[in-house]
Amino acid sequence: MSRVSLKIVGASGQGINSVGEILAKGLKRAGYCMFGYREYPSLIKGGHASYQLDIDRAYIESTELYVHILVTLNHHGLELNLADLKDGGIVLHQTPHWTFKPEELELIEQKHLKIVELPVDEILNKMGARPILGNVLIAAAMWAMLGQDKEMLKTMVGEKFAKKKDLLEMNMTCIDEGFAYQDPKHKKLSVQMPEADSRWKDHVLLSGSEAMGMGAVHAGVRLYAGYPMTPSSPLLSYIADIQNETGMIIKQAEDEITAAQIVSGAMLAGTRALTATSGGGFDLMTETLSLNGILENPTVFVLAMRPGPATGLPTWTAQADLLLATHSAHGECTRCVLSASNAEDSFDLMPIAFNVAEEYQISVIVLTDKQIAEALYTQAPFHQDKAEIKRGTRLATKEQLAALKPSDRYDPTSANGVSLRWLPGQEAATFAAQGDEHDSAGTVNESAVNAAAQLEKRMRKSEALKESLPEPELYGNGGVDAPVDILLIGWGSTKGPVLDALKSAELKDLRIDYLHYTYMWPLKTEMLETLAVKAKKIILLEGNYQGQLGMLIRQECGLKIPHTILKYDGRPFFLDELTAALHQVLQSKEKTSRTVLVTPAYHHP
Amino acid sequence: MPILLDTTGQNPQMKDFHCETKCTWCDGCGDYGIWTAVKRALVELKIEPWQALLCYDVGCHGNMSDKLLGYRFHGLHGRVLPFAAGAKLANMRLPVIAHGGDGASFSEGVGHLVHSIRSHYPITFILHNNGNYGLTTGQASSLTWQNQPMNTSPNGIAEATLPSMDFVFSLQPTFVARGFSGNIKQMTEILKAAMKHRGFAFVDFLQACPTYNHFATHEYLLSKCYDANAEGHDASDFRKARALAVDTTERIATGILYQNEEIPNFYERLVPRQNIKTQAVDEVKKYDVSKLMQEFV
Repeated sequence: MSRVSLKIVGASGQGINSVGEILAKGLKRAGYCMFGYREYPSLIKGGHASYQLDIDRAYIESTELYVHILVTLNHHGLELNLADLKDGGIVLHQTPHWTFKPEELELIEQKHLKIVELPVDEILNKMGARPILGNVLIAAAMWAMLGQDKEMLKTMVGEKFAKKKDLLEMNMTCIDEGFAYQDPKHKKLSVQMPEADSRWKDHVLLSGSEAMGMGAVHAGVRLYAGYPMTPSSPLLSYIADIQNETGMIIKQAEDEITAAQIVSGAMLAGTRALTATSGGGFDLMTETLSLNGILENPTVFVLAMRPGPATGLPTWTAQADLLLATHSAHGECTRCVLSASNAEDSFDLMPIAFNVAEEYQISVIVLTDKQIAEALYTQAPFHQDKAEIKRGTRLATKEQLAALKPSDRYDPTSANGVSLRWLPGQEAATFAAQGDEHDSAGTVNESAVNAAAQLEKRMRKSEALKESLPEPELYGNGGVDAPVDILLIGWGSTKGPVLDALKSAELKDLRIDYLHYTYMWPLKTEMLETLAVKAKKIILLEGNYQGQLGMLIRQECGLKIPHTILKYDGRPFFLDELTAALHQVLQSKEKTSRTVLVTPAYHHP
Repeated sequence: MPILLDTTGQNPQMKDFHCETKCTWCDGCGDYGIWTAVKRALVELKIEPWQALLCYDVGCHGNMSDKLLGYRFHGLHGRVLPFAAGAKLANMRLPVIAHGGDGASFSEGVGHLVHSIRSHYPITFILHNNGNYGLTTGQASSLTWQNQPMNTSPNGIAEATLPSMDFVFSLQPTFVARGFSGNIKQMTEILKAAMKHRGFAFVDFLQACPTYNHFATHEYLLSKCYDANAEGHDASDFRKARALAVDTTERIATGILYQNEEIPNFYERLVPRQNIKTQAVDEVKKYDVSKLMQEFV
């Protein structure tokens, strides 16, 4: 049996996240790889939201559009989500005396759906329990349906309520009741689960934001300033939640400009400081980005993407701010843009971003998106011996400092454009971190010769930086020495569904490689150009309208990628729709094609 | 504790802050006096150039950034306060002075002023208050007198003048002082007190702008300003201080108008930093996150 998917739907604030989290953590401990995906509208209470869990024995990092089980905490799910089910799927609900409309009954029959009503109110009344315990009851019924061990669920719920002893006993009774319940129509209803694998037990189950927050701690970040904006807020929340453990200085700023300026001041003083925002907030930060360019002040900005323009779709996902990251801010200066794709590199990229920032004295923008920021990943404990802390030409010893002249700070003669850096408060010759064009000591200088020399110094770093960055990662059965027929190109959260699609029955026997970009700017194209010469078909996959990575590739090496599969409806690439689209493009005899995926309306009311 | 600096045995001189770059301010500009008072205050507090961070906004005053020594920062228009605060929070040993004009501080960056006072960052803010946008050739600022003809407002501005002192006092500041660019000795004393202050020190220096400000001139300020502290003003009385600061019809009160050392600054209020003796700048290293990961197993 291959992967299983279940989706919990209900009103925002009704507890779908807590049911989802209990099940996700429990199933991981039971030996499954989990991938969690949340959808919710931009409001606090009400609205229709969902929490989907995809479950497998093998590693997965994607969501299916059609699910095996639907759990609905209110009657809206019975109206809105029936079409989300696979053939033979199960609907678990708690709405008494519900009558389906004729067309719904037709759909139920056509798809052989099994509708199970759990009389939650009745059971809770019998127990004298509060309505909120309905979530545990539902979770227990699900747990039984998935054929899992009751005691394990009890242990987990016990951990969650360890500090609330009064609630604990009631929760345990709920679990017993949920397990004991038998639907009169569908006796012993169960789902065929894949075989468990104990390797997942020790893995961590966390969101990309939590992984990134931990990565920031690991990287030595000691100050965080931010302004709330979805989908960057979960990072702010996580870092703020652990402040008493980390001792980090946390500042919720009055706006994004403030956050960017505080972080820039802290970096100039010599600590490691981080801010994160989404598109609109990043727009406000771009003048500061420009300032750091001329100050040669290392800084790291996390840009968590959601669909724009303007407020756009605040709680949905996109990959549409790549060009914003690479091209925003006035004037010309060197910058580096990285993109996370999942929890693992959300963690790994933090020390790398700070190292690049400090080694080149530039701003680094780390892209993530709503999908990565809020999805749940089953992740091996992070390798903590990988990262090094590299602080570039920053000087520390008394002898080094004593030998300094003010003109060492922005010395334009350095071969790679990187000059010496030292910090306010260090006993040495002093300089001006100067936002006006300046000479080597930071003294304002408007001469033509100086302006050209300083600009060239700052731009020279781009070449050195590009040289030092890794080529994109190649996944698949080919390789540079044995190129395959089909080459896919993508970046960011597209990686998860693409790699899962390549393992699908439809595609696994084809010779397909996937070239994944993590280092977005300066863009390396050597490997791509080598592979492109041999490939019979090249397909670009992106979560935006323009094919922004494709535009950068064409700008940098002239290669126009003939086939694109794009998505810009606020949803991530779903595994089944992506697999089908890839299959179709591969069959097509057209020389060029543009495929746009839009998730059907009935999946997303 | 506002200053964690150990200045024992240090004896800096004015010449240590001297730099060869020639001043470019107009003859009679108030920035000369403020420039001198800043250096003098640092010298009298025995702070060496390498120990201080002087942060400048954009405007005529910002041209001071390369007219003296010390670590200096010259940033974006209106944004000097959060940058200065960030540097200070990262290294509390660093005395940080932020300079901004009335244009930047009461228009483009007014939000930062509000939240810096509210946040109570332990930094000194010098308002270079010359009542106009000097460096962009004399446009009206929000502190320019109403009906005063200025560049781009030949008929005088239609907007009301922002009552800056009343506004600042409405934000519950803990240190408010006013000086006049013609009185270097008093400005020096004000700055020394401001730099020793526990939290955010708001220092309003009324400054002559001989080229563009033809209403509050050097002579006008000279005739109106008086030393309120010398006349026995009690700087611990918030209500009296506010009334004194706001009413400039007959005379303009200068000196330390309000001071309260009881309120903890932003850094002191940070729970996670309570028992940490190091500074954020000393703490950059690789941290083990094994314990954090445990929660997610």
